[in-house]
Amino acid sequence: MSALRLTGVRRAYGSGEAAVTALDGVSLDLATGSFTAVMGPSGSGKTTLLHCAAGLERPDSGLVEVNGEPMPGGSETRLTRFRRERIGFVFQQYNLLPTLTALQNATLPLTLAGKRVDRARAIALLEEVGLGDRLHHRPDQLSGGQRQRVAVARALVTAPSVVFADEPTGALDTRSARDVLALLRSAVDRHGRTVVMVTHDPVAASYADSVIFLADGRLDPAGELRRPSADAIAARLAHLGDQAVGTGV
Amino acid sequence: MFALAVRSVRQRPGRLAATLLAAFFGAAVVILFNSLHDTAQQPGIDPGSAESLTLTAGVVGGYGTLLVLLGVASTLTLTVRQRSEEMDLLRRTGATPGQIIRMVIGEALLVATAGALLAVGPAVLGGRALVARLHETGQVAAGVDHVLGPIGLGAGFGVTLSAAAGAAWLAVRRVTRGRPGRHRLRTVAGALAVTAGAGGVGATFAMDPTEPALMAAPAFGSILISAGLAAFSPALVRALIPALGGPLRLLFGAGGHLAVLNLRRRATELAGVLMPLILFVGMATVTLCLQAVESDAIAGSGLTRSVEDRNLETLNLVVVGIVTVFCCLLLINSLASATAFRRREFGQQRLAGATRSQVLRMVGAEALVLVLTGVLAGTPAALAGVLSFTAVRTDRIWPGQALPTWLGIVAVAALAAGLAGLVTAVRTVRVPATVAVSA
Repeated sequence: MSALRLTGVRRAYGSGEAAVTALDGVSLDLATGSFTAVMGPSGSGKTTLLHCAAGLERPDSGLVEVNGEPMPGGSETRLTRFRRERIGFVFQQYNLLPTLTALQNATLPLTLAGKRVDRARAIALLEEVGLGDRLHHRPDQLSGGQRQRVAVARALVTAPSVVFADEPTGALDTRSARDVLALLRSAVDRHGRTVVMVTHDPVAASYADSVIFLADGRLDPAGELRRPSADAIAARLAHLGDQAVGTGV
Repeated sequence: MFALAVRSVRQRPGRLAATLLAAFFGAAVVILFNSLHDTAQQPGIDPGSAESLTLTAGVVGGYGTLLVLLGVASTLTLTVRQRSEEMDLLRRTGATPGQIIRMVIGEALLVATAGALLAVGPAVLGGRALVARLHETGQVAAGVDHVLGPIGLGAGFGVTLSAAAGAAWLAVRRVTRGRPGRHRLRTVAGALAVTAGAGGVGATFAMDPTEPALMAAPAFGSILISAGLAAFSPALVRALIPALGGPLRLLFGAGGHLAVLNLRRRATELAGVLMPLILFVGMATVTLCLQAVESDAIAGSGLTRSVEDRNLETLNLVVVGIVTVFCCLLLINSLASATAFRRREFGQQRLAGATRSQVLRMVGAEALVLVLTGVLAGTPAALAGVLSFTAVRTDRIWPGQALPTWLGIVAVAALAAGLAGLVTAVRTVRVPATVAVSA
């Protein structure tokens, strides 16, 4: 069963001469219960890929399916409803609401969807991410690592089909980064969630089952790396960078 | 640091628009009324004309100036607080608190000067129109022309610039000191303003009921009480939340839920928006009701109402109207600025799964609570002035037309606050959420 399928997704910014193609026909198929890292040089289209796949941006053409259901067209409201039921998102800058406590932030997607908040379950989730004693703290009373763990709990609270993470460790120290990556890993291993993570850090990517590489808006034709070591990822990235320089881009 | 201030003004004219507008409206009102003093002091003017001009300038100019002072100051406080992140950055790059304070005050002075300069033209036009009406009512001799001189300009620039610099200093000090402490200064100032206002209202009883300036004391008093109560309005918001939480959630859904959480946590920061709202309700109610009571008193004095009397009534309403419109514009201005500033927050809510309409419902629910608070604080402040004036001027206590006037004012406040908040929010959520959180 595929949790996420992209078919020929294209996305360009600007128009005419100044148009920049961020995604140039990307197709991929990710199975339920997989943990995939997306890597590539800056400007390769990683974030655009994540935004298009998560329904935060609409592709110019191509198809995005989550759990076999196509991303709806039409109003932003329809897209938001689709997204908040099926997709969780972890951002580099956390994007927690400053006026809400950890518990309120984690249950916000449920509140917004008009669902009954299962308090016990939400507390259990926060305990699982190690914040059982920080339930009623607000983001400014939490460390960066703790904030990101609240964000992970928020992304998991709706039991989404896919969890996207955009540089989730980009603003964290090594230790906090390791905690967050372990949480994402256990979401896959223990709860069967599907995780897609953009990162530039080979160590972070080594937590994934497979790594796909993006350059100039296309998937690297050399294919994915399965169960890679950080060293293998770094070598491949360096190679990718050389290629980009070699083709004069 | 002044060079940095100039550069920062030039780089970001948009973010300073709220300050500029407040300074512009404020300076226009102060110059307009104080130029009547200039007009009264021209050589060769007859004593009757001079007295009418001085009286009009004095009665309205007094509390008008107070309103401008408070309005410009509250806007400045709001906009300086919006820049705390930038100031943190400056501090971390090595700017001393003194440098930051000089930069922010320099900027405030620059923008206030620009606002006051822009206000001179409209104020002169307004002054001419006002003097023309005074000619019509026969209060000023036809040969007396409107003049703008040192008093109008001095008061206009003096009030606007000192309000801007003073408020900037207070606000930036709070920001550069890191976490805001308990707002002891504000509590003390609020208590003082309420006490002084009560004194003003009390002074009404010591005055001669037929004294033409009788209206000034209760109006001044009510406005001071309004300003003082504004200092305590965050506490009022907190007190209202438990009772309003349920209905708001029912009426506005998840948007109402978010509004309740925001209002509870941000009550202290709302003072900047509540100040113009409370001032508007308090000031508009007291001045319009006083005018109505005064007119009734003249009508009831047994003398037949001449054309002049009616003209005089219209003129007074025009004068009061100018100040009321100023307060309303101030209210719209600060609410729009405060809402536009929440772009990032709205983006974060949408990324967490809020639809645009949920964000808008949240803004609507918050506006409702703000208006309710403004009415609850502004009404008793106005009532103090209205009741005492009615008691002194007439032999009744309850003024006849007070209720419909008050209802109208509440409706205008609700409409202005609701529209300013919602229109700004609609424009703000048009930006894609991913862009809104990254800028």
